[in-house]
Amino acid sequence: METNLGLGTACDKYEALLEDYLQAELSGAEQQTVTDHLKRCDRCLSALEQAKVSVRLLQLGEPAADPGPGFSRNVMARIHAAQAEKTVERGSFWPRFILLGWRFAATATLALGILVTYDVGWARHAASSAVTARAGVSDIFAPDPAAAPASRDEVLMMVAESSHGQN
Amino acid sequence: MAHVPKSMAASAPAIALPMARAEKKVDDRELVRLSQSGLESAFEELVKRHQHRIFALVSGILRRPDDVEDVAQQVFLKAYTGIRRFDQRAAFSTWLYKIAVNECWDYLRKRKVRPLVYEADLSEEQVSRLDGIISADRPAEGANARTETRELLDRMLSSLPEQDRQLLVLKEIEGFSVQELAKILDLNANTVKVRLFRARGRIMDAYRRRLASANSANPGAAAQKKG
Repeated sequence: METNLGLGTACDKYEALLEDYLQAELSGAEQQTVTDHLKRCDRCLSALEQAKVSVRLLQLGEPAADPGPGFSRNVMARIHAAQAEKTVERGSFWPRFILLGWRFAATATLALGILVTYDVGWARHAASSAVTARAGVSDIFAPDPAAAPASRDEVLMMVAESSHGQN
Repeated sequence: MAHVPKSMAASAPAIALPMARAEKKVDDRELVRLSQSGLESAFEELVKRHQHRIFALVSGILRRPDDVEDVAQQVFLKAYTGIRRFDQRAAFSTWLYKIAVNECWDYLRKRKVRPLVYEADLSEEQVSRLDGIISADRPAEGANARTETRELLDRMLSSLPEQDRQLLVLKEIEGFSVQELAKILDLNANTVKVRLFRARGRIMDAYRRRLASANSANPGAAAQKKG
């Protein structure tokens, strides 16, 4: 008698063959191999008996019925509905972009307006500041025309004198 | 939303499949080719041919009768939107079965449900009745008895691991072959056989456990049966 270490299960090597044996799908030689093995292995024999009962048990189940001709009509209706939805989606695709474009244009115009207003205001402010500066500050910092050197030689002389004075 | 081929847009006229073509003479490959070129009636013919098997497959996986039709319709909708990408290297049925399996898993994941699970276990009386039917090897008579037997079997099956339950249901109840199951589940045929045989052992273990507890609760009936 062959030994089987599994707990109430068939020999690993024979499980697939036993399934085929159960379904009567073995060739003559394979059938003989399994039959010989079953004579020597109690566990495989017992597992096979249990499998036969399982077939009877599962035969009590009822297979799904054919859904009938209405099913294909429902499928085609669902396909048409999905296509119609898709067409609507496709139709509402561009308007969304156009709206986005308008919003962008409006924002850009507003930004440009603010920029121009600011720029004009700043230019005016700068111009008035320049006039004020010319009126008040130019007298203080403008060089005295009398003290200004008349020629290149005078400039050199002034430089030489100032360096002498420092030494 | 998946891409819908332009030629199959809602506005496209539905061209009728010639009667001769609608018959079984036209094989799936030809119908797929015609569907890919936009012939709606060819696709409808494919639906008619495969709807029963898809129903069986979805029903075998979900075991929730109320949702089977909706999921099966969704399978064909997915097939329609993707048929232009189907290169026909595999059989149309295999491709469709894979869509169905994925759709079932998506459905179960989205709904966060396990295929129908019964909270309460079988009563001793129910187990004894089930055993009587199996021992007599004849189906229950009468609509009520058949409904109850089916429910008892569903309860037995729901106690199994998901994979075992699906394999047993698809093979023994819905009638898929080992080769079909191997293709649907992306498994080697030998692996399917081994898993099936082990699943048989598990359902019988569950059945024997319930039977033993039923007999211990009602030893008189068990002795009478043996006698």
